Amino acid sequence: MNRNLFRRTGVTFCVMAALAGTGSAAGEGVPYRQVADMLYTVMSADREVYTHMVVQRLVEDQQVIAASEHFEDDAALPLPAQMFRFGAERVEEQTEDFSYALLSLWPINKQNGPATGLEREGLERVAENPEENFYGEEELAGQRYFAAVYPDIAVAEACASCHNNHKDSPRTDIEVGDVLGGVVIRIPMP
Amino acid sequence: MSRNTLLWILGTAGTLLATAVAVAWMTVGGDRRILLPGKTADAHHQIELACETCHAAGAFASAKKAEKALNKACRGCHEAELKAAGDSHPPGKFRNPRMAAHWEKLDARLCTACHVEHRPETTRTSAVTVPTDFCVACHSEGERDVRANRPSHAGLAFDTCASSGCHNYHDNQALYADFLVRHADQPWLVPVPVHRLSVQTRTRASRTEAALGRGDAMAPESALRDPAILDAWAASGHATAGENCAACHAPVAAKAAGQSGIEAQWVEAPDTAVCEGCHRWQAKTFAQGRHGMRQHPRVSKPRDPHRRIAALGLGTWLPEAAVAWFTDPAPPRRMTVAETHLPIHAEAAHLSLHCGSCHRPHAVDTEAAAVEACASCHNDSHTQAYFGSPHHALWKAETAGEAEPGTGVSCATCHLEKVERRGNIVANHNQNDLLRPNSKMIRPVCLDCHGLGFSLDALADPRLIARNFRGKPESRVESIAWAVRRAAENPQEEETESRVQSPRRNSP
Repeated sequence: MNRNLFRRTGVTFCVMAALAGTGSAAGEGVPYRQVADMLYTVMSADREVYTHMVVQRLVEDQQVIAASEHFEDDAALPLPAQMFRFGAERVEEQTEDFSYALLSLWPINKQNGPATGLEREGLERVAENPEENFYGEEELAGQRYFAAVYPDIAVAEACASCHNNHKDSPRTDIEVGDVLGGVVIRIPMP
Repeated sequence: MSRNTLLWILGTAGTLLATAVAVAWMTVGGDRRILLPGKTADAHHQIELACETCHAAGAFASAKKAEKALNKACRGCHEAELKAAGDSHPPGKFRNPRMAAHWEKLDARLCTACHVEHRPETTRTSAVTVPTDFCVACHSEGERDVRANRPSHAGLAFDTCASSGCHNYHDNQALYADFLVRHADQPWLVPVPVHRLSVQTRTRASRTEAALGRGDAMAPESALRDPAILDAWAASGHATAGENCAACHAPVAAKAAGQSGIEAQWVEAPDTAVCEGCHRWQAKTFAQGRHGMRQHPRVSKPRDPHRRIAALGLGTWLPEAAVAWFTDPAPPRRMTVAETHLPIHAEAAHLSLHCGSCHRPHAVDTEAAAVEACASCHNDSHTQAYFGSPHHALWKAETAGEAEPGTGVSCATCHLEKVERRGNIVANHNQNDLLRPNSKMIRPVCLDCHGLGFSLDALADPRLIARNFRGKPESRVESIAWAVRRAAENPQEEETESRVQSPRRNSP
């Protein structure tokens, strides 16, 4: 079931990314920004559904299963952030039309800190001003990319407490409603 | 014509001819051993003449396509094993363009970044061809500098990450920090040391109504003359399960029943296809492992020179006289013991590897297959030292009926993983799954009897391994102590763990 879900989501994403092909030329195709926004809408909707309807319900409300970073060893649910990352990895196995990642200025896994100038700038901007997304362009390995950064907010108490208590987390003062990081979406430009 | 001119003409013609032959061997067919650019790594020598297994992109493909095909071939055989190992660095993780800065240092999108074939002079264990400090590429700069993030790692050199029993590139299932902390206080030997999954395989199934005895054997008169064979079969699992002689010697007739059909179709020495008919998964995993990899479905078949010529647009150009020159050598599907690069007993060199090599055909005795069969070919220090080792003493006690099932430790206990499939415990015949790095054995094998700390220390001690674990490890792997200290410095974490995590169920 999972595989089908991933495949379906992947196909949806690919179609949306393909829409952006001629986005830079006025009047043709869908603008990059709009495609990125559409992709983000799907991602954040799925993420919210998993967080609330699966994790929150089964772990907190009905208390039938735990959620754990080591979900296989613990026979538990993957954490929402892991679920999101697995989706991103599946997409990367299927297409180069776009990519996305969940990043933070205060990452638990240091590999999820900003890796490019644009990522740092975008994460700083959305942390300061969560009301506005950040859009830009950058060149990586000879390829130009349109990039969008969306603020990622600690929506539940579990998000804040885990990020405050995890031994690898650089912060201990996160409260519900704070910006934890950002989702970075990249679309290669011709 | 001067002598020089003649020599020039001959030399040029010879060069052109040699080039043409080499190109023809590459593109059409023929014995290509002379073209091998260097020995292949590890067990790959068994399939090194099946070039197209890895070089699947065709002779004139672009470098990018060829590389893609190579990496696809790696994954074709090794992906399942990596997925099962919860690969810490799957290629997909590195395809995101945000990793572009790392691609130049170590392009982890490709298996061939670290495992380059035909480079014997730089190839290390597990076919690794990059220097031992490869972790430096991604874990040494800025906020990602592990020496800055982990005070315990401050003075460590990068060539120690993967060589000291602490980390693996792919499989860290028994090495990650929380796992170390959870298993920190275990004694070197647990109170009841039993390999759980081996218990069922070594408990004789009780005889049921279907079980057959010596007198039930149905075979042609001539085949019933050897009492040793009859006894071996009557005591075997096959007889217990109700499988008569014809099940293997005349399988089609056996289903129809009737002595006359059995006699007419009797095969004196059945092929392994008969074994594979029932033991499919074992046969499949045998072909995935080092003993049977030539039978792996992804290994390319010898090329058909006629079809190759046709594919080049030359129709039926190949004259019959040249066919032999352009026909691929077809190595036997079964490897002979002599072909291995490992130390072996000379008297076993002529044997080939198939089901019957380890399992005596009538007794189908898994006890002999678990120790004697291995030691009849393998002749390295680890194998030699097994006999007389503590593990061997336990094995002797169990097989003599003096100790409980599962308490003995055979070669197969550690090297042929036991797996639960449809309610039965069966042996995974792909010994590669637990072989390297040896910490792959920790969870499915070692931890049933030993504590994690002892297991890490023992597996990181090559001299102890060569002595087949006689004695204690000479040095200590520090990772558990460091992980425990780090957890103690972050006491709040306990609260999170107890709130979010449930008790562990399925793992040791």
